[in-house]
Amino acid sequence: MIGYLRATGERALVFFGHLGRASLMWGNALSGIPRWNDLLLLVKQIYNIGVLSLVIIVLSAFSIGAVISLQFHTQLAKFGAEDAVGVGLAMVLLRELGPVVTALLFAGRAGSAITAEIGLMKSTEQLSSMEMMGVDPLRRIVAPRLWAGMFCLPLLTAIFNVVAIYGGMVVAVEWLGGDPGGFWIGMQDAVEVWEDIGKGMVKSVVFAVVVTWIAVYQGYDTVPTAEGIGLSTTRTVVLSSVMILAMDFLLTLSMYGDFR
Amino acid sequence: MADDNFIEIRGLRLRFGRRVVFDDLNMSVPRGKLTALMGPSGTGKTTLLKVIGGQVRPDAGSVLVDGVDVCSASRAELFELRKNIGMLFQSSALFTDMSVAENVAFPLRAHTRLPEDSIADLVLMKLNAVGLRGARDLMPNQLSGGMARRVALARAIALDPSLLMYDEPFTGQDPIAMGVVQQLIKRLNHALGATSLVVSHDIHETVAIAEQIYVISDGKVIGQGPPDHLRTHDSARIRQFMNGQPDGPVPFHYPADDLHFDVLRETSG
Amino acid sequence: MRLRTLEISVGAFVLAGALALVFLAVKVSGVNFTGSRDSYTVLARFDDVAGLRHRAKVSMAGVTIGRVTGIEVDLDYGEAIVTLELDGLAGVLPADTGAQILTEGMLGARYINLLPGIEEEFLEEGDMILDTQGALVLEKLIGDVVTGMRTKK
Repeated sequence: MIGYLRATGERALVFFGHLGRASLMWGNALSGIPRWNDLLLLVKQIYNIGVLSLVIIVLSAFSIGAVISLQFHTQLAKFGAEDAVGVGLAMVLLRELGPVVTALLFAGRAGSAITAEIGLMKSTEQLSSMEMMGVDPLRRIVAPRLWAGMFCLPLLTAIFNVVAIYGGMVVAVEWLGGDPGGFWIGMQDAVEVWEDIGKGMVKSVVFAVVVTWIAVYQGYDTVPTAEGIGLSTTRTVVLSSVMILAMDFLLTLSMYGDFR
Repeated sequence: MADDNFIEIRGLRLRFGRRVVFDDLNMSVPRGKLTALMGPSGTGKTTLLKVIGGQVRPDAGSVLVDGVDVCSASRAELFELRKNIGMLFQSSALFTDMSVAENVAFPLRAHTRLPEDSIADLVLMKLNAVGLRGARDLMPNQLSGGMARRVALARAIALDPSLLMYDEPFTGQDPIAMGVVQQLIKRLNHALGATSLVVSHDIHETVAIAEQIYVISDGKVIGQGPPDHLRTHDSARIRQFMNGQPDGPVPFHYPADDLHFDVLRETSG
Repeated sequence: MRLRTLEISVGAFVLAGALALVFLAVKVSGVNFTGSRDSYTVLARFDDVAGLRHRAKVSMAGVTIGRVTGIEVDLDYGEAIVTLELDGLAGVLPADTGAQILTEGMLGARYINLLPGIEEEFLEEGDMILDTQGALVLEKLIGDVVTGMRTKK
């Protein structure tokens, strides 16, 4: 019994240690005024993190939009309310699926890439040698990736939403012969800029911070062996996914929960 | 002999958790000479290099590098100091997303405001010194291990540093590559008038070029002096290490019960 | 990776993202950018506004002419006071305009329908519509029918 308590206590301490190190890393990386040279590094990372994720985001978005549209249509047809497909699709995407699915895909593709990259640099002593040459790896390697991640995910979410709605429209209107006017007007009537789009974007920004932070820290904290890199990469994906879903739960509750 | 020491280490202590890494270590690295740090694996030789470079802070002791106390130096002071230190890592540590030329140019770009063509010329000169001028546009993953190490060496000397540190430069190389690195280290030490510190456990190669050797074990210096001096040292440990004997103070057998006892136990168990 | 290609693709990516955001704002939520539209506010009292939401549409003869911008309760009379923001200028709707709360389709959202009156005086900014018919709540309807059936017997 005592042993169990001690083990839990030790785990808690380790956890706090990680959290502390991660926070310090965060603070040190983002402090200081960015210089002009850093901009080029940032652009390169936006490419690696954002542009290279486009393919998977767009493909997934189209499929998900199409599939949801189809399922909604089937169910709503029972009530003769097919015209509501547009509304339902938009609501579900903008508020939930857009931010969450994009973040999950992002964690899997970009997050793991970041972790692996930084972890590899650590285990081949590149970070150490950079430091020895007087260049701070936090500013040069970590900071651009942090900024790029936080910048790219909301953009990717917006793109996801648009493509998914388009995919849904293709199914509802072209294939199932729905009324395009009803699809769009119903949607426009129901969707509000702040309530639906805005809050969805807020979620996306929160996810961006969380996922990028986890990805970068796991890479920076890797055990510098081949096995260590694999473990860290896996941990990034798993931890990010859990955090995304947990935060989504909390955010949805606080944004849309009606406690009256 | 007026010994002007580039590095002075006094009373160095460091622990990682429960493991004692350095226990009152004292060392003086003379200026302009090639000093070797030797000892069994895992005695923290690489860590010592990191302490000298200011990357690891010790628990106690003073580390003076060219007059600067590295343990209490400010960021700015460390930055200045590192301009003057070139380090060759065991894994070459070339930046994998840059070409050979860009790797060598890295310290130049970080520490100087030289125009691009000056930097390009310097890069070519450094690469020429290590015999790899023709490889300047290759990417690190296209290089063999020996070539990578030479590029890393070119990068280490980019700013003509006063201190050159080598972490296991001979490990895992074919005889030709080893010979190349060995000669380069010696030549650069003279050409630059630099102080060189070589960490290695390859006796043969190191002894051939070292002017002074420190043997480290259990966190302390257990022997120092010129190479021949150590081969016939009083300490049995040092003799075992220097002559490569499999058994001695560092035992061959991992601690275990008596052989007969073990075998009998197996058969009757 | 050539620098130019990199910069161009990053620029394209950022542009795509920005356009997506704009698209979402305009096409998906129907936000209007046509300058500052004229609008005026009138109030309406209802005995029951069950299901009516903020930003529900206000229409007349099937044409959307405004939005619900506020729903409050009058504790003295136990009635709901709804604020309607209507497009255009004041002084167009007759003072005896009626307002009813209807449902879109069978299961749709509630909205307010205005029925034009015949008086020559017009509704000004802040005037109150009194001729109202509250939301039809299904349970009440059923309750009425059942009571009606019982009394018939």
